[in-house]
Amino acid sequence: MALTGRAGLLAAVGIVVVMLAPQPGPALAGVCLLLAAGIVVDLVFAGAVRPLRFHRSGDTLVRLGRSATVELIVENPGSRRVRGVLRDAWPPSAGATPRVAPLDVPKGERRRIVMTLVPTRRGDRSSVAVTVRSVGPLGLAARQGGHRAPWSVRVLPPFLSRKHLPSRLARLRELDGQHPALVRGQGTEFDSLREYVVGDDVRSIDWRATARRNDVVVRTWRPERDRRVLIVIDTGRTSAGRVGDAPVPMAGAAAGGGGLLVRPDPRPAPGWPRLDWSMDAALLLAALAARAGDQVDFLAYDRAVRAWVSGASRTELLSSLVNVMAPIEAELVEADSQGMVAAILARAKRRCLVVLLTDLNGAAMDEGLMPVLPQLSSRHLVLVAGVSDPRVVAMAGRRETTEEVYDAAAAEHAQLERRRITARLRRHGVEVVDAPPEEIAPALADAYLALKAAGRL
Amino acid sequence: MSVLTRPPGAAPAEGSSATSPTLRSAWRGSRIIALLGLIVVLVAIIGVLLSGGGGESRRLDPDDTSLAGSKALAEVLRSRGVTVDRVDSVQAAAAKGAAGDRLLLITDMSYFDEYTLTKIPGDRLIVGDLPGLPVLAPGVRSELATARTRSREPECPLPAARAAGSAYMGGAIFTGPAGATSCYPDGDGYALVSFPSAGGVTTVVGDGGFMTNQRLAEDGNAALALNLIGTGKAVTWLVRPDVPPVTELPGERGQSLEDLMPDNVRWMIYMSIIALAVTAFWRGRRLGPVVAEKLPVVVRAAETVEGRGRLYRARRARQRAAESLRAGTIDRLTPRLGLGAGAGQHEVVAALAARTGEDPQQVGAALYGPPPADDAGLVGLAGYLDLIERQVSEL
Repeated sequence: MALTGRAGLLAAVGIVVVMLAPQPGPALAGVCLLLAAGIVVDLVFAGAVRPLRFHRSGDTLVRLGRSATVELIVENPGSRRVRGVLRDAWPPSAGATPRVAPLDVPKGERRRIVMTLVPTRRGDRSSVAVTVRSVGPLGLAARQGGHRAPWSVRVLPPFLSRKHLPSRLARLRELDGQHPALVRGQGTEFDSLREYVVGDDVRSIDWRATARRNDVVVRTWRPERDRRVLIVIDTGRTSAGRVGDAPVPMAGAAAGGGGLLVRPDPRPAPGWPRLDWSMDAALLLAALAARAGDQVDFLAYDRAVRAWVSGASRTELLSSLVNVMAPIEAELVEADSQGMVAAILARAKRRCLVVLLTDLNGAAMDEGLMPVLPQLSSRHLVLVAGVSDPRVVAMAGRRETTEEVYDAAAAEHAQLERRRITARLRRHGVEVVDAPPEEIAPALADAYLALKAAGRL
Repeated sequence: MSVLTRPPGAAPAEGSSATSPTLRSAWRGSRIIALLGLIVVLVAIIGVLLSGGGGESRRLDPDDTSLAGSKALAEVLRSRGVTVDRVDSVQAAAAKGAAGDRLLLITDMSYFDEYTLTKIPGDRLIVGDLPGLPVLAPGVRSELATARTRSREPECPLPAARAAGSAYMGGAIFTGPAGATSCYPDGDGYALVSFPSAGGVTTVVGDGGFMTNQRLAEDGNAALALNLIGTGKAVTWLVRPDVPPVTELPGERGQSLEDLMPDNVRWMIYMSIIALAVTAFWRGRRLGPVVAEKLPVVVRAAETVEGRGRLYRARRARQRAAESLRAGTIDRLTPRLGLGAGAGQHEVVAALAARTGEDPQQVGAALYGPPPADDAGLVGLAGYLDLIERQVSEL
């Protein structure tokens, strides 16, 4: 049950009536009786909420930053018209609008309500409840009831680094020797023979083949294919730290502007977790490697396997990757590097390129990864990629006041640690990519292309 | 292809279920609680009925049967043919006093006006050092000291006391005016002072303990009480009122604001309360549940570095700060100067001085010298390191 503003207005009119009435006592009783009678009539003659049936359809997947539409069909099998409002309750970060929709369903008919979702973070968002308030004929009181009409929308990582894909694919085609720019394919694997065209490197002419035919024939090489790439994302506590600027407004940051209780935070916006930047880089690398004909596997690990994708076909790879990535959140525990290496070794039987996306944090690395890294680097080619924090770089550069100098010293200390750990990793024969959040994805893609060109896969 | 973790949750598109309870299920769910509430209310009602009026004991009240009350004394007096009237207001006492010669027994003065009381003629027995004593018993001075209440001999010629013998006496002690009879001495004063005044005999006792139900049977307490009170006159027994009298502030012609207000206003206020309740229910009824969401932690990665900076600052760790700044600068400069990672102090200083044209001494002191003595020195060092670095990168 619920009352409406009209009931409040009627009671307010009652105040005036009682004040002016010659006999105020009976007048009050009369007003109250009238109000109560009106409320009872409304409750009795309002359309029933309980028998309503709900059907859903619409999007189940949406990229972060895009909007999804979910349709809610309200079917009224009852004997009276249901008129009032409906609220489809979603979690705040689902960004569902409208919050409250008007509803008017004649008996035996159905109406469609379209919800627009603009999610503000990754993960699965489910509708919690549908609440209908059915107002009676007098508009004084309403019946109210809740229904469960489950629907879930998976918010996928946005893959913002997709914009870097065409240029990297072009580089890949150059390596492949398929590019019309007449350069010799830079791979080491013999691909095919083809006719000489002006501009080809004369050193690549295959004289034996030329002798067999009337044309001049050149050899082409291409990079190795069908190599394996295993992308490993560390989802431990270091991946929860936020860096850079969030490309998609954070949950609460956009909506909190109007609230009275929400004070604007004076500190700068905390950006995106390292985990999300790592995922972005992993997606670009996976897309590139799949085009290059390599087999891509994916593992997310902190103290247990959070996600594992293996053997996905070239066409399905990206969609299955974003699907498993969507619900992964950073766990606030120290990652178990030993377990991670064991999991990698158990899954990667053949030699492969292990791309480990983690934080190049000196203390965590010294105790975690460093002791077990030789096990990994002896059997596989290891590439460690870390997202650096532009804020620390900015802190190291500001040296005006005493406070800033102390902060700069702390930032220098952090950067020294980072360079030290990078140097140690390189001494172990591990490739290292250390880049700010906006550049980590293209930097990782370039590192992969360089390894490919060098034939080290 | 094997995918661990849940596939995208395309929930069953068909089907919905009502979640709000029906009347019957609501009753079924809450009937135990309703039953328990009913039992609690019943027990409370029965308890209140059984305990009777109960409440706190009222000291020296002729209707009180507790240890501190005086019902026993009142009953004994009545059985001897003495009229005992319990009154709890000055007006009632004055009305009784006007009827004839009576004894006024005063046990409490919390809410009474002593000037009105003095107008009542007749004997007067005042129990304890009550406020307004100087007005009620003129000439009686109460001493600062108090006497321990115990069995005492009268040691005076007052017939009432002499006949009773030892009695449970003490409390406040007084000195009477000239011509007064004083009994039960202690220190400089007496626990009982009796003297003739305008309308009769006024007696002041230090403590009413001898009149209570608890002490009445002991010693000569009963005899003393009967001798003092049961003089044959009717007794007006003034006690503290159950409900403190409300101080009324009558306005013009004795009318309060409530009297002046038209009847409608009072009813209008009731109607306003109802309207407020209706409005509150209208605004307060939520449309569906509050949706809680587990949000990921929001922590900036730079917070550890900022924390380290604040620690440096708090501890004035100039040496560590200077070391970090110098190490960072050297780390960046050595490759630019064409030196290896293992280059020694002298090589770096010499190469740097040659490149920038700065004084080798100064460069050496900046890069490898002692830590700065104060914060200003640290800021200066940071600026100088910045300058060197910029010069090297610009060349």
